[in-house]
Amino acid sequence: MKKLFAVALGVLTAIGGFVDIGDLVTNAVVGSRFGMSLAWVVVVGVVGICLFANMSGRVAAVSGRATFEIIRERLGPRAGLANLGASFFINLMTMAAEIGGIALVLQLVTGIGPMLWMPLAAFAVWIVVWRAKFSQLENAAGLLGLSLIVFAVAVVMLGPDWGELAHQAFVPTVPASEQPTTYWFYAVALFGAAMTPYEVFFFSSGAIEEGWTRKDLGQERVNVFVGFPLGGLLSLAIAASAAIVLLPQAIAVTTLSQVVLPVVQAGGTIAFCFLIVGMLAAFFGAALETTLSSGYTIAQYFGWSWGKFRRPAKAARFHLVMIVGLVLALAILLTGVDPIAVTEYSVVFSAVALPLTYIPILIISNDPDYMGAEVNGRAVNALGLIYLVVIVVAAVAAIPLMIVSGAGA
Amino acid sequence: MILSDLIGSEVRDASGAVLGRVVDARFKLEGSGTPSQARLVGIIVSPRSATSFLGYERNAVTRPVLVARLLRWLHRGSFLVLWGDIARVGTDLVELRPRYERMPSELDANE
Amino acid sequence: MMKSPTVRAGRVFDAHLHLLDRQVLDRDDTPITTVDDLELSDVPFDTDLDGVEAPVIVSLLSGAVLGTRIFGGRPPSSRWHRIPWSALAELGTALKLDAAADDLEVSWPERWVREHIIGRIPGGRHDPE
Repeated sequence: MKKLFAVALGVLTAIGGFVDIGDLVTNAVVGSRFGMSLAWVVVVGVVGICLFANMSGRVAAVSGRATFEIIRERLGPRAGLANLGASFFINLMTMAAEIGGIALVLQLVTGIGPMLWMPLAAFAVWIVVWRAKFSQLENAAGLLGLSLIVFAVAVVMLGPDWGELAHQAFVPTVPASEQPTTYWFYAVALFGAAMTPYEVFFFSSGAIEEGWTRKDLGQERVNVFVGFPLGGLLSLAIAASAAIVLLPQAIAVTTLSQVVLPVVQAGGTIAFCFLIVGMLAAFFGAALETTLSSGYTIAQYFGWSWGKFRRPAKAARFHLVMIVGLVLALAILLTGVDPIAVTEYSVVFSAVALPLTYIPILIISNDPDYMGAEVNGRAVNALGLIYLVVIVVAAVAAIPLMIVSGAGA
Repeated sequence: MILSDLIGSEVRDASGAVLGRVVDARFKLEGSGTPSQARLVGIIVSPRSATSFLGYERNAVTRPVLVARLLRWLHRGSFLVLWGDIARVGTDLVELRPRYERMPSELDANE
Repeated sequence: MMKSPTVRAGRVFDAHLHLLDRQVLDRDDTPITTVDDLELSDVPFDTDLDGVEAPVIVSLLSGAVLGTRIFGGRPPSSRWHRIPWSALAELGTALKLDAAADDLEVSWPERWVREHIIGRIPGGRHDPE
């Protein structure tokens, strides 16, 4: 019974933790402009993150080595440093986006401007990172994040034309009002939102935080292969809600108010409350994850002591990096930049950085020195290679598409 | 001497012809100390690439098959030169003796 | 302490492949640093090496020498953080030392941040609750 509870907790946490502000905003924007015609990208992205999260989790559990240690060891210090710089920068953008998201939600609820909430949100994130146990922080954020299921509920309550939605999803076409380059730009953005590198850094470091070994691989697989796809369904629900309500009225998504509109329309104040709780939990959880990831990446590159399982005094530089990161993220936000805009750019840049993170993971998961008998099977390698090609194509196409499409204008 | 002095150095034979660059240095543990001492056995020279990328050309990792094949191809022709065949070590330069021997650079799987 | 088979006589390895950029752990598995470079015993420079014994690894290096590998240049030897080869207990996918982190000279940046910054923030010295 206890085992079942643990499994359920793992899965539920994975679902609730899947969506962050990047997924929320990108899916809402996509739904409002393209309907469900980019749904296939979410599916491709979810399969990809399942594949790589599982690989990196396996590597961490079997070899005890976290992703960024491996990146430096395989790519060498120069390429590793370039990777570190890119990852840290993108991570910082994502941190700013998530903390900004928390402030925006609070603004939605209280009507008071977001800038007031930002320092408070950053401080709250820091306090939890400083004091809370890793598993507590993961479980709380994950379980509360399940509130986002209200999107799926809203979709059903809106009584949509399911045939129309299915048609858009299975026969994707570029709507007449949009350019093909914009369509592909958003495909890359959605892909980046689903496969953000910080998720892999966090997942593999988290495996070490929780002391996973070979014995835990079964649980890890269930978390990933059941939890993540269900989380992906939530992403699709967000897109669907926007497709049903916003698309027909050509409402553009520029603030959180448009994102919540479909849910409010479907379920009124109660649905709104669930949504607020869900968004706060999802953004706060993601803020914790990106903050921890900023610490993990730098500490692992330089070989410093790290981990929430150690008291801060025993992982001093790790905690210092996170404090500095939070200050920098806050500074970015206090310049008045729109967190939604930061979000939209962060997912595109995530897509650009993907190959640097995933190539070493694919290599190491084949290395018997690290993995013993748990090296990748043929099927996993075949899929991994296919995805490597997709990832490289997306990474190379991202910036040109951004320029040509005017960042999706 | 630091290892970085050696790695990346140009390798020339006795007549001055460039053979490649040092991509790695092989050591063998010897002696009864704890740990045993690590003595230099030789250098790994690659005629094509200054950076040893991912070590595929020498270790037991053979998958993913496409990546392994590509990297072994990129590093084809790399060889080991024993210490005794090294004549001189200078700045960014290693000169070999006239009748140096090219040894295979593969490491056994259990080493 | 029983010598691990990974550091017994007969083992052959390549420095770049097996030592460089690897994580160094202390005897309690606390990460200390990565291996940025290696210090080898001196070899006569620019002269014939006939009869000269092959060098041995004297110490693992970290710190400013990382800049050498990335950008070139060389910090003076007084600024190298050295971990003597004799401290090595195991040579696997990470390098494990037969010493505690705080006893090593190389861990002073960590200790400094601990004393002056993290240790001074309330709760820094307590286990997470």
